[in-house]
Amino acid sequence: MLKFIVKKLLEIVPVLLIISFIVFTLVFVAGDPVALMLPDDATQEDINNLREAMGLNDPFIVQYGNYMLGVLQGDFGDSFRYNTAALPLVLERLPATLELAAASMVIAILIAIPFGIWSATKRNTILDLFVTGTSVVAKAMPNFWLGIMLILIFSVTLGMLPVSGHGTWQHLILPAITLGTGIGAEMTRLVRSSMVDILNQEYVRTAKSKGINRFFVVYKHAFRNSLIPVITITALQISTLVGGALITETVFSWPGLGQLLIQAVNTRDMAIVQASVFVIAILVIVMNLIADMLYRVLDPRIKY
Amino acid sequence: MNKKILSLLLFAFVLILSACSSDDSSNGEAGGSTTSTPENQSKDLTIAIGSDMLGFDIHDHSNTSTESIHQNMFDYLFKRDANDELQPMLADSYEIVNDTTLKVSLKQGVKFHNGDEFTAEDVKFSLERVAQTPTLKENPNYKQIKEVQVVDKYTVNIITFEPEPSIIHRLSRIGSGMLPKKYIEENGWDYFLEHPIGTGPYKFVEWVRDNKIVFEKFDDYYQGDISEWDTVTFRIIPENSTRVSELLTGGVDIATNIPPADWDRVNSNKGTSLKQEVSNRAIILKLRTTEGYPTSDVRVRQAIDYAINDGMLTEVALKGAGIPVLSIVGPGNFGHEPSLYNTFNYDLEKSKKLLAEAGYPDGFEMTLHSPKGRYLMDAEVSELIVGMLSQVGIKVKLEFMEWSNFVEMRNANKNKDAYMLGMGNSMYDAAYTADFYSAERNVGHTDYSNPKIEELLAQSKVNMDPTTREKQLQEIEKIAAEDTPYINLYIEEINVGVNDRIDFTPTSDEMLYAPYMKLK
Amino acid sequence: MSEQITTVEKEIPYTQVKKQSGAGKILKSLLRSKTGLVGFIIVFIVAFIAIFAPWLAPFDPGAMDVTKILKPPIWIDGSDPAHILGTDNLGRDILSRIIYGSRVSLLVGISAVALAGIIGLIVGLVAGFYGGIVDMILMRLVDSFLAIPNILFALVFLAVFGASVPTLIIVIGVTNWVAYARIVRSEALSIKEREFVKAARSIGVRNPLIIIRHILPNVISSFIVISTLSVASTIILEASLSFLGLGIQPPTISWGGILSDGRDYLATSWWLATLPGLAITITVLGIIFLGDWLRDILDPRSQGRG
Repeated sequence: MLKFIVKKLLEIVPVLLIISFIVFTLVFVAGDPVALMLPDDATQEDINNLREAMGLNDPFIVQYGNYMLGVLQGDFGDSFRYNTAALPLVLERLPATLELAAASMVIAILIAIPFGIWSATKRNTILDLFVTGTSVVAKAMPNFWLGIMLILIFSVTLGMLPVSGHGTWQHLILPAITLGTGIGAEMTRLVRSSMVDILNQEYVRTAKSKGINRFFVVYKHAFRNSLIPVITITALQISTLVGGALITETVFSWPGLGQLLIQAVNTRDMAIVQASVFVIAILVIVMNLIADMLYRVLDPRIKY
Repeated sequence: MNKKILSLLLFAFVLILSACSSDDSSNGEAGGSTTSTPENQSKDLTIAIGSDMLGFDIHDHSNTSTESIHQNMFDYLFKRDANDELQPMLADSYEIVNDTTLKVSLKQGVKFHNGDEFTAEDVKFSLERVAQTPTLKENPNYKQIKEVQVVDKYTVNIITFEPEPSIIHRLSRIGSGMLPKKYIEENGWDYFLEHPIGTGPYKFVEWVRDNKIVFEKFDDYYQGDISEWDTVTFRIIPENSTRVSELLTGGVDIATNIPPADWDRVNSNKGTSLKQEVSNRAIILKLRTTEGYPTSDVRVRQAIDYAINDGMLTEVALKGAGIPVLSIVGPGNFGHEPSLYNTFNYDLEKSKKLLAEAGYPDGFEMTLHSPKGRYLMDAEVSELIVGMLSQVGIKVKLEFMEWSNFVEMRNANKNKDAYMLGMGNSMYDAAYTADFYSAERNVGHTDYSNPKIEELLAQSKVNMDPTTREKQLQEIEKIAAEDTPYINLYIEEINVGVNDRIDFTPTSDEMLYAPYMKLK
Repeated sequence: MSEQITTVEKEIPYTQVKKQSGAGKILKSLLRSKTGLVGFIIVFIVAFIAIFAPWLAPFDPGAMDVTKILKPPIWIDGSDPAHILGTDNLGRDILSRIIYGSRVSLLVGISAVALAGIIGLIVGLVAGFYGGIVDMILMRLVDSFLAIPNILFALVFLAVFGASVPTLIIVIGVTNWVAYARIVRSEALSIKEREFVKAARSIGVRNPLIIIRHILPNVISSFIVISTLSVASTIILEASLSFLGLGIQPPTISWGGILSDGRDYLATSWWLATLPGLAITITVLGIIFLGDWLRDILDPRSQGRG
C-alpha cells in the first residue's frame, strides 16, 4: 500500500508540470494583458516599456522558466485586476467551493444509493424505467436552468429559502441540490448497473436460494460490493463536480473559487486563472488518490 | 484487519474535510446573509450590483460602477448637487486667480478615517499623483495640472499648463478623490490598497473579491451624521435573475440594472418598486472613416443614420427606457444642445437615395462589433440594427465580443466598419466628449478628422469665458450630428429596483451614494 | 508489462466483442429494448430535423417582427397562431430557432467527438505500441487532462481563442480524447503481446497494418459507446459555455445560445428558455438511451449497465 501511495505521489509531479505547461502556453498565446492595463490613449512607447518591465519581451522558454521558478515558491504572479498576489486570493475561496462540493456529493449519494438499489431490485419494471428515465433527464438538464428554476420556485414563490449568498445551512440547500442532481443521476445509473451485476452473481443467487432474508442479501452482501465501482465513479465525478461548481456558484453568487475564476477568465486576469487551474487540478488529483486508496481497501481482489 | 483500520482512517479524513468546510459556514462570515428577512428597523443597507469594483486605486480606473461605490468613502473637492450645479464639498470656497491658477480654500476640521486631519498637503499629494503618473488610467483627465502649490495648511493653488475651463468639473469626479498623504507614506501604497481610508461618510470594513464589499458608518464625518445606515454592504450578483430574485424576496434593499423583462415583476411585487432616471451615457455606433471603407463617405454614414429607427430601438429593446439623441451630450452637461436631444433621423427613402448617390445603390457589406451584456440590452439592440440596415440593402456581419476581447480590439485599432459603444461623461462637460472627435485621438482608429471641429476644439479648450465656450461646444455637436462620425442612438435610462422601506431615486451619474438612500 | 497494467486496471477492458450476425439481429434487439427503441427514434427525428431544417422551419430563424414580441406558445392565451411555440424578445419564431439550432448542436457534438476519437486513437496507439518512456509521458498527459475539469479547460481556451463553432469543436475535441486513448492503449498493450502480432511483425508486416487489421475492429464498439455519450455531454457543455458567455455567438443559432439568452425571461416568459432546454433534454435522453442499448449489444460483459 505504501509503495502504491509513493508511486502515485511521484506521478503527480509530471502531471503538474504538464498542466503548468499547457496553461502557460495558452496564456502565452492569449497575448499579454498590457493592452488592458494601460489607459486607452497609451502610446506604443508606454506599451513597450511596460512589456519590457514585465519581462513579456523575453523568449517563450525564458518566460516559462521564470514562471515555474515562481510557481515552485508558490508565486503565481499578481492579479492585475486586483493588484495582489493570485494564490492567496484563490486559496481564500477554496473552503466555500469545498463546502458546496461536499454538500452536493452528500445529496448525490443520498439520491443514488436508495434509487439505484431500488431500481436494480425491480429491474425492468415500470419503476425501473421511471428511475432510469428520471436520472437521464436530471443528467441532461443544464445546471444553470435548474438553479434559476429552483430559486424561482423555492425562494421567490414559496419564500422558503434564501436566494443566494453564503452563510447559513439554508443558503447551502439550493446550490447543493443544483449541483448534486446531475452527479446523483449519473451515480444512480451506476449503482443500479453494479447492483444488477452483483445480484446476478452466483453467491447472491445461492444465498437467496438458501432462503436467507432478501433484505439481508441485498443490503449486506450486494450493497457492499456495489460500493466499489461507485467509489471509482465518484472519483471520476470530482472533476465534473468542480466544473459544475463554476456554474452553480455563478447562479447563486456563492463566494467560492468559481465566481472568482469566471470573472478572472472574463477579464483575462491570467494569474488568477493559472493559480485556480493549478489548485483545482491538485484538488482533483488528491481526491482521486483518496478514492483510489479506498477502492483498494474495499476490493479484496486487488493485490499489491 | 489493517485494511479495515485504513478504510476507517480514510473515512475519518473525508469527514474532517467536510467538517472543516462547514465550520466556515457556522461562523456566519457572510454579511449579506443576515438580511434575508430584513425588519423595517434594520440599519443595515444591502445593495446588489452586477459586477465587482476594480480596486481602491482611485486613479487607476475609469469605471463608473467602481466610482459609484468609492463615493461612499472618498470625498471630492467639489460635488454636483441635485440641479447639476457644482458645489464645494471638501473645498470651502474657490477663486479663479488667473487663467491657469485656481485658488481653493479647504474646509477645516475634516478627518480621515484614521483620525488624521485633511489638509492642503493631502490635496497636493492626491492630485499630483494622478497628474504626474502617465501609467494611471485617469492621467489623461488630470495631466493638464502642472502642480499644486500649498499656500497654507488650508489653502492650495492648482496650477494648470494652459487655461483650463473645465477644472472644477475635473475635480468632482473619478480620480479626484482625496487621499491621506501621511497614512500612505507611512504604510506604503500596497497597504493602502488593502486598508484604504478616505474622508467620506463610510469607512472600509472588508472586500471579498467578486462577492461583497462592506462599509460601516464613519462617526467623525465632518458633515455630521448625514446617513441613516450603520453598515452598507454591496453584494456582487452577476446573474440578472438572481439579483432580481434577491430584491423581490427582500434579500437586498436595492438592486441595480434590472432587465426590462422584470420591470413589471418588480413593480407588481409587494414591497418593491422600479426607479428610473435618465443617465449620462449615450449608446453610439463608432464608424470607421478610414479611406477604403464605405463609411469613409459621409453620405454612407448619413444613410446608416437614416436607416436606423432609434425610436423603435428604445421602444422595443429598452421598453421605453432610452431617449433617442443626435448628440452624446445630454441635459445637465455643460455644452448641451437641446435641438439634438430627444430626436432622431429615420427616413428609409432618404437613406436609399444617399446610398445610391454614394455609389452603393444595392447596398454593401459591413461588420459591426458589439459587446454583449455590457450595456442595457446591447445584444438585442445590435440585432435589431442588423435587421434595420438590411432594409436598405446594407448587409451587416454582426460580431459579438466578450468585453475584454472587445477592449483589446478597440485598443489595438482592429475595429472595422462600426462598433457599438456606450459613452459616459463623468465630467458633465461637453469638452470631455468633444475631444473624442479630435483627429489626434482617432489616428489609426477611426481616422476621423474634420477641420472645422479641430478649429473649434482648439478654441474651446483654452476659452475661459463660459458663454462663448458653450457656443463652441454646441457648434461642435451640431457639426458632428451632420458629419456623423458616430451614429448617436440613444441615452440609456438607469433602472434600479428599490425596497419600499427606502426612499431612493437614482442620479444620472449612476452613483450609489448611501446618504441619498433614506429610510422611509 | 505488469507495471503498465496496474495503471489501467481501473477501467473496464473492452476487449471482448461478440460478433453480430447481420442487421436483422440488431433490429430484433432494438425492438426488444424499450429504451433503445425510444432512443433510436428520438435520435432519428433530431437528425432528420437538423438535415431538413430549411424545409421544416416555418420562418426564417433570424427574422424579427417587433409587432409580435414574446408571444406564448399556441396552447396559452394571447398566442399568435402562426407561431406554434411562440416568439422571443425580438419577435423571432422559437420553433424555427429550435429547428435550426439542432444543426449547430449536432454539428458541434459530432465533429468534436470525431476529433476526440482521432486524437485518442493516435495517442493510445503510440502509447500502447511504443511503451516505455513514451507511454509514461503520454499517460501523464492523460492524467493531466483528467485533472482539469472539461468546462474549465474550455473556458480558458475559448477566452484565449474566441468563441466560434470551429474553436468550440476543437476545444471539446481536445478535452474529450482521454477516454478513447485509454481504451486504445490497453487494447494495443494486450494485442502487442499476442502470438499472431509478434509473428506478423517478425515477417515484416508494418505497424500501421497491424493497427488496422487487429486493433480497430476491437475498439470500434467501445468507440461507438463512448461517442454517443460524448455527443450528449457535448451538447450540455455547449449550453453551459453559453451561460458563461463563451458559447456560440449569435447570429449563429445554437440550443445553448437560445437557452442562455432566454434565462432572463424565465420568470415572465418561461418558454424562451424552457423549450430549447427541453430540446436539449430530449435529445440527450435519446442519445443516452441509444448509447446504453449499443453498449448492451456490443459489449455483452456490461449487460444491464447504465
